[in-house]
Parts: sequence; structure tokens; C-alpha cells
Amino acid sequence: MTKRAKLEIIRDILDIIQKNRKIKPTPLLRQSNMSSSRFKEYFSELLEKKFLTEISYNGSKFISLTDKGQKFLEKYKTIISFIDEFEL
Amino acid sequence: MIAANFSTEIIYSFIIIICSLMIYFGTKELYELSYHKGIKYFRYAFLFFALAYFFRSFIKLILFYFNVQGIFLISPRVMNPLISQITLILFMYFSAMAIFYLLYSVMHKKWNTDKILFFHLISILIALFSVLSKNPFSYIGLNIILLIFIIIVVLISYKDSIKKTKTHNLYTFYVLLLFFWILNIIDILIPRFLEAFQLFIYLASSGIFLLMLYKVLKKIGN
Repeated sequence: MTKRAKLEIIRDILDIIQKNRKIKPTPLLRQSNMSSSRFKEYFSELLEKKFLTEISYNGSKFISLTDKGQKFLEKYKTIISFIDEFEL
Repeated sequence: MIAANFSTEIIYSFIIIICSLMIYFGTKELYELSYHKGIKYFRYAFLFFALAYFFRSFIKLILFYFNVQGIFLISPRVMNPLISQITLILFMYFSAMAIFYLLYSVMHKKWNTDKILFFHLISILIALFSVLSKNPFSYIGLNIILLIFIIIVVLISYKDSIKKTKTHNLYTFYVLLLFFWILNIIDILIPRFLEAFQLFIYLASSGIFLLMLYKVLKKIGN
């Protein structure tokens, strides 16, 4: 797994959350097309790096984007273009 | 004449340090969002270039102040030799690490294991060797070996990139940057060796750093 692919996966997960505004973990796992273990790995990492936040709403747990997650989506193309340009 | 040379040195160092720091701080947000190793090592390379240039300027200042050609020629009665030796060790360490970070930023995808500790160790050895061995030819030999090693690694990476997609002029650019950087190191260690080409080296090095800054700023859109 290359780092580029990893950034793409992060973009895809954040994109799903952005489109739904807030989403429960199970539909997020389903829509992200990943294995459960791999999803957990990414999910924990995104929470730890503060791209996502967990919120409680009507007794259920939802996931939503933080400002940092939003910023990642805005800057995604710049990041990829920078990595390509400098062969990083 | 000495004042004019010193002004040139100050302007030259200022350009390189500012360009390097602008690249380092300009790419901060991209790293904090991506946590990409390549971006991290690329940024560190320029931070270390800035630090190396800071110590290079300090060495030049000492040389101008005492009007001597080499840092080891300063009499122990006018300045504690430890000051010049530590400054030279730091300059050589930051220089070597800047080169290794730049190399690692491109090569980290191919090298699965983390080699940064190894590079720190090599840089410390290079720095100590530069101070302990006072033979000018050993400095040149060491830097030529370093340059050959870098060219081989960059060529391997370049061949792979041709196989994959488009050709990249950036590899030529990286080799040029490292080549002129090594000339800068030789200029400090053996001042008379490249005296005739000094202005050319300064102009070429400044041009390369300015071009790198331009490419970075263009990409990050600032």
C-alpha cells in the first residue's frame, strides 16, 4: 500500500462524511468499501489526528467532519499535486 | 575589498536562508494535513539547509574578522579553537543531513525500513571527520564520494520514474542543487580551492534555491 493510496482512502472516507454531513459508523463502513479491520484502523487514525469527531444525537453515535477534515478535502488536490511535482 | 566580499556573503546567505525557511514554513500546512513522510523529509531538508547556511555565515564572519583563509589557521590566542571546531561540526552535520533528507524525501517509498538514524550517524561521522582530518584532499574525496552516491541513487529513482509515467526534470534539478551545495562546502573547508569560481557558485546556488522556492509557492498557491 503506497502513501498515495492511503491519502486517497482518507479522502474517500472524509468525502462520504461530508456528503452526509453526519453519518453513523456502520453506514460509513459500508459506503467506504473496506474490510472492517482496515476501516477501524483508518477510523482510529482519523479520530486521533482530529479529522473526525464523534457526536451523540438522539441517543445515537454519529460521525462528522472537523474543520481540519474539511481543510484536508479542500487541500487534497494541492497535496497530491505537490507530492507528484517533487517526486515525494 | 574585504567589506565588499563580506557584503556579498551576507546577501548570498540571506537569500538562501530566506528561501529555505519560506519553503519550510510554506509547506507546514500541507504536512499537518497529510502527515506524508515525503513532505516531512522535504521540509526538513530545507530547514537543515537554512541551519547549515546560518553556521556557514558564522564561519565566514570569523574568517573575515580575523582575516584568515582557513578556520584552523586562527590563532588559539585570539579565539578558543573549540568555537571554530564546534561551528564547523554543526555546519558539516546540518549540511550532510540536508542532503540526506532531500534524498530520503524522494527515496523513502523504495526504502521500506527507516534509515534516518543511520543518516544521522553518517552525518555525525562526516562532521567529526571534517574537523579531525585537516587534509584538504580528504574533504574533497569525502564530498566526491557523497556526490557519486547521491547521483547513483537519484539515477536509479529516475529510471524507475521513466518506466512509470512521464519524465521528470526535477531529478536534474536535485542533482544540481546537491552539486552546488557540495561546492559550497568545499568553499568553506578549502577557501582558495574555488576562489576563481566563487561568484559563479553563489549566483548558481541562489538561482537554484530561488527557482525551488518559486516552484513550491506556485504549487501551494501562495
